[in-house]
Amino acid sequence: MTNVKELLLGMSSAVGVSGREEGPVSLAEKELSALGQVRIDALGNLICTVKEPRAGQKHFMLDAHVDEIGMIVTYIEENGFLKVAACGGFDRKLLLASQVEVHTDQGVLPGVICSIPPHLQSGEKPNPKIDEIYIDIGCGREEAARRTAPGDIVTFHARNREMLGGYLTGKALDNRAGCVTVMRAAQLLSKEELDCGISVTLTSREEINAAGAAAASFAVNPTHAITVDVSFAYTPDAKKDQCGELGKGPMIGISPILSREMSDQLIRIAKEKEIPWQVEIMGGETGTNADAIVPVRGGIRTAVVSIPQAYMHTPVEKIDPRDVENAARLLAEYVKEEAARHA
Amino acid sequence: MLKLIEELCAIDGVSGREEAVAEFIYNQISPVCERCEIDPLGNVLAMKKGRETPKKRLLLDAHMDEVGFIVTYITEEGRLKISPLGGIDARVVAGKSVFVGPKRVYGIIGTKAVHMMTPEERDKAPKIDELTIDIGAGSREEAENWVNPGDPVVFDSDFVLFGEGFVKAKALDDRAGCAVLMDILLKEELPYDTWFSFTVQEEIGGSGAKAAAYTVDPAVAISVETTTAADIAGVEEDKKVCFLGKGPVISFMDRGTIYDRELYRLALDTAEKYGVKAQPKLGVFGGNNAASLHKARGGVRPMAVSMPCRYLHTPSCVLKTEDILATRELLFRLIGELGAR
Repeated sequence: MTNVKELLLGMSSAVGVSGREEGPVSLAEKELSALGQVRIDALGNLICTVKEPRAGQKHFMLDAHVDEIGMIVTYIEENGFLKVAACGGFDRKLLLASQVEVHTDQGVLPGVICSIPPHLQSGEKPNPKIDEIYIDIGCGREEAARRTAPGDIVTFHARNREMLGGYLTGKALDNRAGCVTVMRAAQLLSKEELDCGISVTLTSREEINAAGAAAASFAVNPTHAITVDVSFAYTPDAKKDQCGELGKGPMIGISPILSREMSDQLIRIAKEKEIPWQVEIMGGETGTNADAIVPVRGGIRTAVVSIPQAYMHTPVEKIDPRDVENAARLLAEYVKEEAARHA
Repeated sequence: MLKLIEELCAIDGVSGREEAVAEFIYNQISPVCERCEIDPLGNVLAMKKGRETPKKRLLLDAHMDEVGFIVTYITEEGRLKISPLGGIDARVVAGKSVFVGPKRVYGIIGTKAVHMMTPEERDKAPKIDELTIDIGAGSREEAENWVNPGDPVVFDSDFVLFGEGFVKAKALDDRAGCAVLMDILLKEELPYDTWFSFTVQEEIGGSGAKAAAYTVDPAVAISVETTTAADIAGVEEDKKVCFLGKGPVISFMDRGTIYDRELYRLALDTAEKYGVKAQPKLGVFGGNNAASLHKARGGVRPMAVSMPCRYLHTPSCVLKTEDILATRELLFRLIGELGAR
């Protein structure tokens, strides 16, 4: 399997906006098919059976959503500019003058996001709303209609890079960082003789309605699920009490809807194995796939492990790859111990 | 021509730090010029001999600097505070990536996640002095190994050809102007002696052009520029100012200059005479080096010939190739028309 950093760069470069996750899914399929049987379900989820569970065994589902935020073309204007709608929660202050890519059946069209220029607006100039922007693909109406169509996906143009201090930045690290974590954990577990079942799910549509996670957890029917997502890393303009810190290890979620027993075990194991960790306390729903997984069938014990991330939902999301490696180790150690416990 | 523009845009040169642009231009044009020098402010001043010496000296000017930022302070947490160089819309800054200083350190102009913002914060663009650059350094000491206060900051933006003959890059304002003048210098035999200035610091007030016009002492000066086109969807027809694809834009007035009426007409007539597309600038917006050039010494008759440009002063300026070529053609014809007068 490709190493963690290369996998992060590759997965983050792949294009997979909610509902159109084929890009990162097919990349992950190549990596995961070495570890177990892979199938793609009706909603575009990737489900990899790393260890088939036998009756009565525990069955761990290691989950991460594979979709990224983006836009979808809704209309071609008379002069060839495109109107779009958002797929996922956008930070509107990033939009203007950003270079984007329109993904059509024939290939990728570069474009630029525009709106009314500042000299034509008086007074306060708020960030434009998504329905106020246009995408300039440099084509008149006819040519635009030949090259693109409503329903085509739009992403920010972004180049993934390594920063000083070993950080990685790029688009879609929410949640390809989570995908790489569960892929790496599966790799660490694949050689072990374990008394349990293990499935990896890379699930679709989290940024819209988490329909992927609900369907995948129904199909996998695990006894325990851990979903890995990204969470807020501290930057000086944020509140410390709402954030984790980059490089300080995976954030173990604690919330009324999650299995407290699983959260406690994760913390205990992190301490014992000297894996750096942080907590993330949530008062209710987690804003992750866990909210969709918990009530599936008769209910699934679920935990959330998060990779700290700065600048979430931008083309310059920033993570520390060491947090991914540590999160993968934590998941693997947890599964090993839990498989052995009461077995 | 496009290759030349691509090369010019790839060079980093915010206002006050145009040395690399000047060196590139000087090295290319000096072999074909009668005179070529870099003046004390960093302007490249050149004269190319023509077949005749005109009665009235003509200066064609394009500025070398691009908009960007300057590092003003390094915080204890290792983040960089910045001040803009040139008029940058605060709404195009957040979330962009940049290169900082001579080591070209990669940085992110990042803010907290949208999820943690209040509705007011989501609506309002942060002011530039509220933003910081993250270069990955964890402390001031660590950051100081890589950058210093006073270092320039440029946008990270590729040169891209797209759509039906469009170009997107940073710094097209005004490297496209530089490229047009260089192309005339390098490829044309000129009918009259002509002066060229590639000037510094247009975006922060035009002190380069002041010195250049003093030294060259022209009778007529043409500012060769890029100018705001608002020809996008959602803008009323009378507010579009100028249009990509309709050729060079001739100004009668902007915020810095009332242009010479006779020269304004001459530019449009010359375009018509030679079958080159041209358009008037329909609105009094912006300004350029003409504001400095026309006030030099005892006064200089000003003209502005600009390429219509969308998204000016952002990392994603957009020009149309046919406008660039038409601008070059019109300027070459104007050298002949002006020299004959």
